[in-house]
Amino acid sequence: MSGNKKDDEMICALTAEEHAALQTGLNALPDTMPPRVVWQRIREQAEAEGLIAAKDTRRRSVWYMGAGLAAAALVAAVMLPMLLQNSVESLPTVPENVGTIAPVPLNTLQTLMTESRDLESNLRALPDAPRVQRASTLATISDIEDRIAAIDYQLNDPGVQMSPEDTELFWRERVRLMKSLLQLRYAQAQRAAF
Amino acid sequence: MADMSKFADIDIDSGIVKRAAAGDARAHEIIYRAFSAPVYSICLRFTKVPAHAEDLVQETFIEIMRSIAKFRGEAALGSWIRRIAVTKALMFLRSAWTKRGQMLTDDWHDVTEGDALSHGVSRHPDDALDLDAALASLSDVSRTVVWLHDVEGFTHKEIAGFMGKTESFSKSQLSRAYQRLRPMLEVQEDGKQPEGAAISY
Repeated sequence: MSGNKKDDEMICALTAEEHAALQTGLNALPDTMPPRVVWQRIREQAEAEGLIAAKDTRRRSVWYMGAGLAAAALVAAVMLPMLLQNSVESLPTVPENVGTIAPVPLNTLQTLMTESRDLESNLRALPDAPRVQRASTLATISDIEDRIAAIDYQLNDPGVQMSPEDTELFWRERVRLMKSLLQLRYAQAQRAAF
Repeated sequence: MADMSKFADIDIDSGIVKRAAAGDARAHEIIYRAFSAPVYSICLRFTKVPAHAEDLVQETFIEIMRSIAKFRGEAALGSWIRRIAVTKALMFLRSAWTKRGQMLTDDWHDVTEGDALSHGVSRHPDDALDLDAALASLSDVSRTVVWLHDVEGFTHKEIAGFMGKTESFSKSQLSRAYQRLRPMLEVQEDGKQPEGAAISY
């Protein structure tokens, strides 16, 4: 609604009640999801234009980088004792943590995972969705579930190497969506109870 | 502008937006999952043809990918995306109108009240299917103006800007659309529909 009183005065074709009924009706019309193939088409065009990193290339480069690091670590593990044995005593001492990866900040991540698990558990504890549901609520629930599924897909895809920051970001988004879903399902259960 | 649009209800973590601005495909997919339904719906409402709506969704999200680095977060992400979608859809409609040799003027007389009723429109104000049919029975211009004004919350000035027309044009389109929709919105005190208003399918 524009909220512009002057505009409303200009449009005299409807009474306030009729206008309210129209707006309520229009806003309650459910959204429609585009076919799944649309995202695929967008992704292909975006990759072709260089707007996003090409999926396969990224995965391959991550794999190569990982393999390279592993090979380097193996060579170092095999060669280092030999070098140390044969060489000069003046070689600097090798720190114990050489070659180890920077620790992942697990605290936040663990908290988010635990929170997400608790929310899942709360969701399961709710009664089944009522047989008759409001179309708008159903569409919203379905939309949120799709978004959670998309995040889960990313988090569980073995081909995707995420940085700790990415992982945390995705878990945070998952928790946020789970909270919205729980609120909706809770409200739905309450309505069904009365 | 008071925002009643569904776009306003969708919230995305600012970290995801930053990732998207850096070209992260996963972040873009999350934004797509969040906004694809309202974007597709608005394009479908305007064009009425699923294939056109799909193309417009693609154009909208490609534009988002091109421009998201410039998004400063001053407005809500949803408002920004909605504006892109509306602009794309109206550009398409203007182009379609131009191709058909029609000016972007009042093509009101394309559909008469009798046509609307024969499309199975009843006078139940709460019946989404009927309202959908009633909306679809309006001309492209009228339907677009009604949607932009009453669902997306744009002012006549903004609608006029989108359409390259005057505010009076927008107001006149809306007023005439209301006149056509009015028989379907009659609210009786007893809650029953007016006699003879029910149209069977």
